[in-house]
Amino acid sequence: MAEKKSVLLKIKRQPNPNVRPYWEEFELPWHPGMNVISSLMEIAANPVTREGKTTTPITYDSNCLEEVCGSCAMLINGRARMACSALVDKLEQPIRLEPFSKFPVVRDLAVDRSVLFENLKAVKAWVPIDGSYDLGSGPRMTMEEQEAAYPLSRCISCCCCMEACPQFNEDTGFVGAATISQVRLFNTHPTGAALKRERLAALMGDGGIQECGYAQNCVEVCPKDIPLTRSIAEVGGDVMKQAIGDLFRK
Amino acid sequence: MATTASPTAPVSTHEGVPPLRAGQGHSFLLRKLHSLSGIIPVGAFLVEHFVSNAFATRGPGAYAKQVELLSSFPFVFYLELFGIWLPILYHALYGFYIWFRGESNVTDYPWAGNWMFTLQRWTGAIAFCYIVWHTWHLRFSGVHILTHPDAAFGKVQLEFQHTWALAFYALGIFCASWHFAYGLWLFAAKWGITTGDAARRRFGYVCFAIGLLFITVGALTMRSFLNTPLQPIGPQSGVHDSFAGAVAPGNRLR
Repeated sequence: MAEKKSVLLKIKRQPNPNVRPYWEEFELPWHPGMNVISSLMEIAANPVTREGKTTTPITYDSNCLEEVCGSCAMLINGRARMACSALVDKLEQPIRLEPFSKFPVVRDLAVDRSVLFENLKAVKAWVPIDGSYDLGSGPRMTMEEQEAAYPLSRCISCCCCMEACPQFNEDTGFVGAATISQVRLFNTHPTGAALKRERLAALMGDGGIQECGYAQNCVEVCPKDIPLTRSIAEVGGDVMKQAIGDLFRK
Repeated sequence: MATTASPTAPVSTHEGVPPLRAGQGHSFLLRKLHSLSGIIPVGAFLVEHFVSNAFATRGPGAYAKQVELLSSFPFVFYLELFGIWLPILYHALYGFYIWFRGESNVTDYPWAGNWMFTLQRWTGAIAFCYIVWHTWHLRFSGVHILTHPDAAFGKVQLEFQHTWALAFYALGIFCASWHFAYGLWLFAAKWGITTGDAARRRFGYVCFAIGLLFITVGALTMRSFLNTPLQPIGPQSGVHDSFAGAVAPGNRLR
């Protein structure tokens, strides 16, 4: 590229789920430190396409703008990632923005990612502390346990791991790496372990951990560097131990 | 939301990937059987098959003896049916089912693991096509090698007379070796045997060596069939042999 005088964006638009998507191109003046979200904000301030046609601002989810809320995940040049940390200078132009392909589109770049919430509910991804009386303080965790758990707790529910997974689709109904990793997080928690058997049993249902093909895209795209392939291996081992054990116990 | 736009129509809740169906279905059992069958008995049979065929490097006599040994096993029909045919058929058919439900995306995510994921499907498919062709030719047509072990060496040699068949053998050996070696690695990772990154990397080297070993043994075995003068397929081979026409009369020793 000669001089970065302008930034070219190609955005997939879809006013509502029932109409066909179409592409619109935008050209913005370049300035230092631009990212995809700031570009979308500029378009919102002046929603005019490259051809000079006035259009609507782009709809997208975003919140924190510092890669900790998980809202602004989308396909940028075909790849699942967070828009806030996608620096324009590091992207090939025209920058292609599309909504996630495996989640129902709400409008433009905003998609419905509630399947992850349903999956987290299905595996009881929480620490059970409800009771009618004061349970007191929980058991202590060693430093080692904390250090293993912390990376898993960084999950921001962005769903990048699911979008990039070749096994995550409508045919398999695969649960995805994020949920499996949360099972590991809550199973290693001393109080959360109370539901360990139920979580592992849930992962044996249709769409469970068995659908993983170990393509390892999840761990590559994860913006929080969560050791997802390790989680799948560990939880996979736990699930197998329980499944084989149950053959004799039950 | 950065903008205040709201959907102009209600979002259909029927589309999209369905959530986990906890407690439902049998896909866990079926998928794990697929996974296990790749190691035992299909993988174990592959080891036996490569070892047995490697007896060809010790000459037609040793090869015939090995074929005779295998055919002399008690309950050989049931051993083959439940130890080889049905497991391979199950592994292959469920494998295709897995393949057709997955969506390869190596163009957008061109990473090593993703390529291996895709190649595992292709090598499996090629190996299966090869196995069907190979067993049909060598086992179910022409001289019956279980009842005529001394005809086995010559029968393989006849196969190798056709360049395309020879190439298909080489491809079949390569794909089966690759699929088995990476299958071992996948099994260890998914059954929670190699959980750590370093362990998986180390076992990756081991599986690479195993794959290379299979390919080498296969290549050496093929070379023995090619370098040995054409062997007779025996007096019993009879007129039914579909390859009889391919043998020059001078090559028949009897």
